[in-house]
Amino acid sequence: MTDLRAARRDLDAALGAQAVHSDPLAVKLYARDASLVEGSAGLVAFPQSTEDVVTCMRIARDHGMPVVPRGSGTGLAGGATPLDDALVVVTTKMNRILEVRPEDRLAWVEPGVFNLDLANALEPTGFTYAPDPSSQQVSSIGGNVNTNAGGPHCLAYGVTSAHVLALDVVLPDGTTARIGAEGPAAAGYDLRGIVVGSEGTLGIVTAACVRLTPIAPAVRTMLLDFAQVEDCAATVSSIVARGVVPAALEMMDRGIVRAVENFAHAGYPTDAAAVLLVELDGLEGAVAAQSRQVEAAAREHGVGTVRVAADAIERALLSKGRKSAFGAIAQIAPHYHLHDCVVPRTRLTEVLTGVYAIARRHDLIVTNVFHAGDGNLHPLFSFDLTVPGTLERVLAAADEVVRLCVDAGGALSGEHGIGLEKRDFMPLVFTDEDLAAQACVRVAFDPDGRMNPQKVLPGGARCGDFAAAALARADQLPEGTWI
Amino acid sequence: MDLIHPHTASDVSDAMRAASADGTRLRVIGGRQHLGAAPDVDAEVWTTLLDRAIAYDPAEMLCVVEAGMRLADLRKMLAEGGQEWPVDEPDDATVGGAISAGVALTRQLRVGQLRDTVVEMEFVTGDGRRIRSGARTVKNVTGYDLHRLLTGAHGTLGVITQVALKLRPLPKTARTLMTRQGGLGLAARLLDAIPLPAAVIAGHDRVLVRLEGWPGEVAEQAKAANEVAVMADDDPAAWPAPAFPDAPFLVQAAIVPSRLEPLLEGTKRFRALMGVGFAWIPCDDEESVGLVRDRAISLGGVVSLQRGAAGSVGAAPPLPAIQKRIKAAFDPAGVLPAPVVVP
Repeated sequence: MTDLRAARRDLDAALGAQAVHSDPLAVKLYARDASLVEGSAGLVAFPQSTEDVVTCMRIARDHGMPVVPRGSGTGLAGGATPLDDALVVVTTKMNRILEVRPEDRLAWVEPGVFNLDLANALEPTGFTYAPDPSSQQVSSIGGNVNTNAGGPHCLAYGVTSAHVLALDVVLPDGTTARIGAEGPAAAGYDLRGIVVGSEGTLGIVTAACVRLTPIAPAVRTMLLDFAQVEDCAATVSSIVARGVVPAALEMMDRGIVRAVENFAHAGYPTDAAAVLLVELDGLEGAVAAQSRQVEAAAREHGVGTVRVAADAIERALLSKGRKSAFGAIAQIAPHYHLHDCVVPRTRLTEVLTGVYAIARRHDLIVTNVFHAGDGNLHPLFSFDLTVPGTLERVLAAADEVVRLCVDAGGALSGEHGIGLEKRDFMPLVFTDEDLAAQACVRVAFDPDGRMNPQKVLPGGARCGDFAAAALARADQLPEGTWI
Repeated sequence: MDLIHPHTASDVSDAMRAASADGTRLRVIGGRQHLGAAPDVDAEVWTTLLDRAIAYDPAEMLCVVEAGMRLADLRKMLAEGGQEWPVDEPDDATVGGAISAGVALTRQLRVGQLRDTVVEMEFVTGDGRRIRSGARTVKNVTGYDLHRLLTGAHGTLGVITQVALKLRPLPKTARTLMTRQGGLGLAARLLDAIPLPAAVIAGHDRVLVRLEGWPGEVAEQAKAANEVAVMADDDPAAWPAPAFPDAPFLVQAAIVPSRLEPLLEGTKRFRALMGVGFAWIPCDDEESVGLVRDRAISLGGVVSLQRGAAGSVGAAPPLPAIQKRIKAAFDPAGVLPAPVVVP
């Protein structure tokens, strides 16, 4: 059992008392992220520098405390929910943009910088940071890196991993290292690629070198409405089949459109069964040609109206509707549970139909707003937790949604991660041997298992004996030699 | 030397298990396009019979193929669906070989990096375990992406047997423009002037500009290019840019774009990928390879050999303890070659 008072004393001495919190309110606030799971925080530390993070790691090690890194806490899978009185290391005070180098198409930022603040800061250079999760106003780059965050624009530009060139990390033993490279290739195995999306289980990111993407000279936003959900989903495949890769291709069903329209007043058609929000970008010649293809694809599937945003103001209004969806649904019921799974694009219609049936069976309200182009579904159950038995119904429905997506050939998570929420579903998609190999990589970074324990991998996943023995032997090898 | 020709992933697993038991040292061979210096081995595992297409539906913009498939066959299959895997390597190269070598994509500015095109992988570890990571979807955060470790690992961690690849639509039109003079300065001006090009390649003797996309867009780009320099058009032999076929050694350096100039200062013959930071430099002997390597590393870059064997060329990787543990966990008996590392 950790002596929290002793750990607190050491942290106070090293970081200053104002950077460490252990009062009941702070401990309660940091006991959860944006998921439904509540854990328990022992201490909460707010480092201001890489050295502070190193100090946190060393003190946690000395006192045998688990460490849970946390950005803004917008994660939806419980990845930043501390368990067992962990030390929560909150990186939001490390929020400087360190360096912007348009000539090298890169920028160095601290983990606490908000995603949208980075994009806004870059704008005058003619470049942007492409990944744009819906939480971008408040979610931090460090959190984005750890969940390999997505967003509407990942269809054309790729997810966070494609935009992270290098990372400065602090390992559980307090070692610091730079992994990846500013240039287009790095030495050794791609540790950067493993740390991105590792949900705080391998180390703490203290700086990220991100790729800058040129801002497209032309953008066109189109809103298509359909009387049938099936036609809307079929249009998605049809657009792709025509060789068009929109910058974003977002689908919203009637329930969410009504909630959003009440809130954003963007002129969304509230009588349609579903709408598609299509954003095209690039050079004017490409945008014009692609919008003709999109319109033709929509007409093939009985589109109602095709609305093209006339100017930047209308464009912003339409995308505001999309981005405010998760706030707007508060009108439906006080609580919500947002799912995240990916299916092959061509199975969207049947999976959506299945989601509606699951909601009906469990007497829940479900609305859908999601990255249709990526096949990334976000069924959103709305409910009132004060009604007895509700949580059980929500979790039962969630379980069925996950199985439905996996049965359709999908993945457990497209962009939110596994965390605690989906940890026990991992055996649905991976064999014991697959999970054991993943466990080996985790052990390679964190032999003592102190980084964000009990997350991502299910309880039984262990690096196999033969591999574990070799791994331990590797530490004894003389420098310059390998097994 | 023994040659092993597996027909299935299960054959690969048997071969690796046997090798681990016997201590046989193996090397994985694909299309022999990206092999570095030959390590001292007892046997070679040839993957070229693992060449089946497992799944391809153009509407998914993904395909699943076995790793020994030749790029020529992959290109043919994907062209029928109007798509491509944007890797400009020789027809004889295999999918698994290109991934293991972590090849540079010449059109990176437009198509991104190789490592982001591999979304699922099946591989066999050094001791014969069959592992799968990732998923057949374009987005996925489900556990640790082990396939990222195998990408660019040069066959030191396992044998890649099957991959799911993220594809792109074939461009509706493509043009290659060429200047009659070379140099980084001219290339930099072209990179600045042309919106969203697929590639601007500086050479000592010319600058190549690759434009791809919808006809209206390519016309717009070509106009912008011609305002900077007189460009000769559409020589079909000019793309992909030929890489000094006469040179015994070809070094690839990777560096931030702003340091291409100090890297290439005084270099007689070169190609450099503007805005990305790859440079290809032909060398006549091992000594000049060493000079290029030293200069690139001193400028913060890394180097690899694209042709020729000149001892070890590389750079010191970060976190050597973790690199070693990963190698040990995937190849516990050490039957596959060790990574080439220059301290």
